[in-house]
Amino acid sequence: MLRGPQHERRTNNKFKLPTFVLRPRSKDSDRFLAVCQAMNHWKRILSVYFFAVSLLIVSRGNIFAAEAPSPQRVVSLAPSVTETVFALGFGSRLVGVTTYCDYPAEARRLPKIGGFMNPSLEVIVAKKPDLVIGVNTATDPAKAREMERLGLKVALISVTSLNDILTGIKSIARLMGSPQRGEKLVGAIEADIQYIKKRVAGAPRRPVLLAVGIRPLVVVGGSNFIDQLITLAGGENIAGNSAQPWLNLPEEYVVAKAPQVIIEAGMGSERQQSGNRWGDLKSVPAVANGRVYSYQSDKILRPGPRVGEALAELARLIHPECFTSPANSKPNGESRCESS
Amino acid sequence: MKVLNRRKMIQVNGVLFLLLILSALGSSLLGPVPLDLVRALENMFSPDANAEILFRTRLPRVLLGIAIGGGMAACGTVLQALLRNPLACPQMLGVSGGASLGGILGLIFFPYWLLPIAGGLFGEISWVPLTAFVGALLSMVLIYRFSLFHGRLHPYHLLLSGVIFNSFIAAVIMFLNSIVDFYQAQGLLFWLMGSLSTRAYLTVGFIWAYIVFGFLWLWTKGLSLNLITLGEEAAMQLGVETAALQRQIFVASSLMIGAMVSVSGMIGFVGLMIPHVMRLIVGSDHRLLLPASFLAGGIFLCWADTLARILLAPAELPVGIITAFFGGPFFLFLLYREGKKLAV
Repeated sequence: MLRGPQHERRTNNKFKLPTFVLRPRSKDSDRFLAVCQAMNHWKRILSVYFFAVSLLIVSRGNIFAAEAPSPQRVVSLAPSVTETVFALGFGSRLVGVTTYCDYPAEARRLPKIGGFMNPSLEVIVAKKPDLVIGVNTATDPAKAREMERLGLKVALISVTSLNDILTGIKSIARLMGSPQRGEKLVGAIEADIQYIKKRVAGAPRRPVLLAVGIRPLVVVGGSNFIDQLITLAGGENIAGNSAQPWLNLPEEYVVAKAPQVIIEAGMGSERQQSGNRWGDLKSVPAVANGRVYSYQSDKILRPGPRVGEALAELARLIHPECFTSPANSKPNGESRCESS
Repeated sequence: MKVLNRRKMIQVNGVLFLLLILSALGSSLLGPVPLDLVRALENMFSPDANAEILFRTRLPRVLLGIAIGGGMAACGTVLQALLRNPLACPQMLGVSGGASLGGILGLIFFPYWLLPIAGGLFGEISWVPLTAFVGALLSMVLIYRFSLFHGRLHPYHLLLSGVIFNSFIAAVIMFLNSIVDFYQAQGLLFWLMGSLSTRAYLTVGFIWAYIVFGFLWLWTKGLSLNLITLGEEAAMQLGVETAALQRQIFVASSLMIGAMVSVSGMIGFVGLMIPHVMRLIVGSDHRLLLPASFLAGGIFLCWADTLARILLAPAELPVGIITAFFGGPFFLFLLYREGKKLAV
């Protein structure tokens, strides 16, 4: 009985629509419905308008995508990444580095976000970075995911092989918004590598042991970019046939493989040595010929932009005869090096 | 319990001693690299690779392995009796924690320093075992002080203070490990895992001196150890000066453990398992059990270290992994067999 007149009234009210628009709190449900309909009409118009505007914004964004705002606040989670960012000339954009980031000297003064394996998530978030860069070998993937959930942009750079390192430098440059700087830096490193390769090309391959720990003996194995550097420098890693990147080597293996050069790339401390710890193994050529080099070198151990320099350093240790100027070099039938 | 007679004593120890000699020879000849024995013996005093592999790298290692294995097993045996706890092992006494901390500090502050002995006349040894041994001695004194209860060394206090001290030291070590350099931290972890790698006969001699001295001291207490397993009061009534015995055993085993951990790090499982295995095989009379455990521990660690060198060649596995891998199932098998024997 009640529905009849109401229904009728709705049809009636349809004509009075404009007058009711300004009275949304009307108890009359029909009128309210009518208001809604009217608003829908306006909404449609508005939504088309907003769609058009947003389309415009998006298209403008697309137009400027090539010059997208490059990250201005960057956090580095590894010393090699810090070195790369500095080498690319973006050091001023770093707002946080690890406690181990000590090269270049400016990196020491930057705010610290914690260690290499255990960076502090809170400190990173508090830095409000627009880019966080870590490495695959040390950065915890779970932590990286957590940072992404918190809305940070995270990039993990692979540093397992030499190729990875060079690709990583290029991708950091791209992320920083300047791919050409990456190409330039990688080009320079590749030129260094080519130069060294040429220098040691004629020299015989020397068996080399590269140790990072002495008690117990921890050395560079295969599947490690340092193994590749040794090979490029004209050496042959005596533990290179092992699948592990680092391994604990029994000393008898060193005697059996008779390395001609032993390099102890320090464990992070300064060279502190009195006496030769290999002295009793006279059958090892490196010991007999006094070619045990013990010194501190982050350059060799860090998968960063200094790999070219590291290679040069290794090559000088493994084949010093290839780096004397041709005028000074004595005629040596055994090892001939190209010196052009 | 069967009565111990001289014949059984000689038989058991003789067989084990023979096995130990064979094991020492076997593991000197086996390794990740082939060895030409004839050339090694011919060129004993000249720089030859074979001779150096045998006499410079393998032999000191094998000798050290026997000393550490035997010492650990002997200490485990007496500590299980003294503390009347089947879970007692050399790592439990707290001294091992002190030695580890001392070694870690040595590794951090002077990893490469060598100490010339008598002006370099007897070669040079690393500082790390020395700092570790100092750490062991200091922690021994500390634990002794804290375990005194009404002027006596109480087993429960000894056990508790040892366990607490070790967990405290473990925390300190983890703290140090997290503040040092990345590569240094790796080195510390490798050292903590334990290794028998050594080339210094001087170090091996030093360990053997401690082990022989400590072992003989403990062996003379064999009869009293038998009695103290009956309970402290019973032992006292039977004429054992328990307070003195506890003190002596604590000092003797602490010195041994300190020396062992300072050179080889924490090699677990030998000290816990070998005494139980030997108790199941030769019975629980400590006069026989102690030397039998010593010899068996030496044999076991000798082979475990050989496997550690060979299995993943050229990489060397931490020997603690091998001792647990092979010792654990064997121990469970013995326990199962013993259980079945009793049921029948």
